[in-house]
Amino acid sequence: MFRAIWDNIKGIYSLLVGMAVTWDFFFSPRYTIHYPRKVVERENLENYRGPLELTRGKKEQDQTRCISCQLCVKACPGHCLKVTKGKESKSPESWLYDFSLCCLCGACVEVCPTGALAFSHKVYMVTTTREALILDLLKDLKERVAETPLLVEAPDSTASQEPSAAVVKEA
Amino acid sequence: MASWLNFINPFTIDDDPGTYLGDFYTDNFEKGAQKGNVILNLGPQHPSTHGVLRVLVELYGEYVLRSEPVLGYLHRMQEKMGEVKTPYQYLPNMGRVDYLNPIAWNWAYAGAVELLAGIEVPERAEYLRIISAELNRISSHLLWWGAFVLDLGGVTPILYAFEEREKINDILQIVTGSRLTMNYFRFGGVGQDGDERFFALIGEFIPYMRERLKMYKDLVTDNVILRRRLEGIGPMDRDLCLRYGATGPILRAAGVDYDTRKAIPYGLYHKFEYRVPIGPPNDNFGRYIMRLEEIEASLTILSQAIESIPQGKHIIDKAPKPAYKLPPGEVFFAVEGARGQVICHILSDGGKTPYRIKLRAPGFSNLSLFAEAAKGTILADAIAILGSLDLVIPEVDR
Repeated sequence: MFRAIWDNIKGIYSLLVGMAVTWDFFFSPRYTIHYPRKVVERENLENYRGPLELTRGKKEQDQTRCISCQLCVKACPGHCLKVTKGKESKSPESWLYDFSLCCLCGACVEVCPTGALAFSHKVYMVTTTREALILDLLKDLKERVAETPLLVEAPDSTASQEPSAAVVKEA
Repeated sequence: MASWLNFINPFTIDDDPGTYLGDFYTDNFEKGAQKGNVILNLGPQHPSTHGVLRVLVELYGEYVLRSEPVLGYLHRMQEKMGEVKTPYQYLPNMGRVDYLNPIAWNWAYAGAVELLAGIEVPERAEYLRIISAELNRISSHLLWWGAFVLDLGGVTPILYAFEEREKINDILQIVTGSRLTMNYFRFGGVGQDGDERFFALIGEFIPYMRERLKMYKDLVTDNVILRRRLEGIGPMDRDLCLRYGATGPILRAAGVDYDTRKAIPYGLYHKFEYRVPIGPPNDNFGRYIMRLEEIEASLTILSQAIESIPQGKHIIDKAPKPAYKLPPGEVFFAVEGARGQVICHILSDGGKTPYRIKLRAPGFSNLSLFAEAAKGTILADAIAILGSLDLVIPEVDR
């Protein structure tokens, strides 16, 4: 009988201790951020693997480094790349990338002999159709070249240095 | 039975078999059902079963008489896929087998291929493997902790668990590049070396997590409602666990000292000093406390690893390329995942792709304990037992 009463007192005390924890958190600052108004900081996305992008050439910064060797196409486990070789030069005529099939494993990036591929940090890509996920990477490269024609930094770090329009600390 | 009863409860077993409709499983399960009992489907889309698990239960009032898990709703032919892809191309799949504990599966496959091909891994890569695997174990146990208490009706803890999980995801994202289905291991090392920020964040995380574990004790473990829901419910003794091949925290809660990290040492785990928690109690509460103590053991391993990590390469120079061919032979490699023993068995005939791959998922064996453990309990306790098994359905179905 006394034991039962004592157990109940202990039980109620344990509930109060738990309530005290939640009470503390009620007054602590908010941990989450409100997505459309605020997005995560840039440094958190440095190593994030977004959809692929073509890097710029070392000397000619408006050209791709791709030599259409098809190694990435053979390495890809999801068959999501399609590279067509140009008629006159080695550089590709078209570079199509189906993001809906891509598993972001990085086999293409690691196998590329010239370092022509890199992961971008576009994390807020949203579409309503499958066709919009087939990305033309040469077109994407041209757009980036038009935005910033010459890079001061070493071209190897282009992927992480270029500011992406979607990632602003407070939009 | 009178038809007015059907009006009250359309699922009540009737004398006339034509009056109620079920699919193959319900019809075959029903044959032994007694008059007046209710057949209930938990799932495949029931919120309290994790993922698309379907459990058929026969109820007498609120008591579970029989139960039977129905699997296969998330079968993705993972083993067959390993037979049509080269080893390098199959590696990203391993993160998808168990989305909560991808690093252990990475290790199982990479380790099996390395054992067959005789590839030596640099010491720094072994340390990075241990660090990532232990971080991943903590994040998996945290999500289980939140989801388990959610099953029992407490919504608050999962929000606290996700705060820590986000921190671990931030740390693992630095080296793996993704937050969920990580593809970090390569044959002969790991994909990326950890930078200063990576080790600094782990150094901050370890004392922070120890503080949070104390808070978990106040908030949940000592809570009288939780104790009364868990203590003495769903005991699984040593004999039951061994008969069904249960591994992981469930087996250790039953008092069997079996941890793959100690029993079949792999990697550099033999260099670390840590304690593997062992039961009893072997009830729901025992399994609960076993996982929280495992988080502490993982933190111990982590703090030793970041202190003593050597300099060096993170991958060997001539690491296998995507077109790499396995030498002929048969190999078997086991690692300790968050849910139990993960095994990869490869049979290769020296061709472009392996001849056969078998993946042993711990969740599959652990789930088979449910039918016996849930017999005679009330339905709400059966849900608690299901939650305490820590099931991840993609891993069970593969």
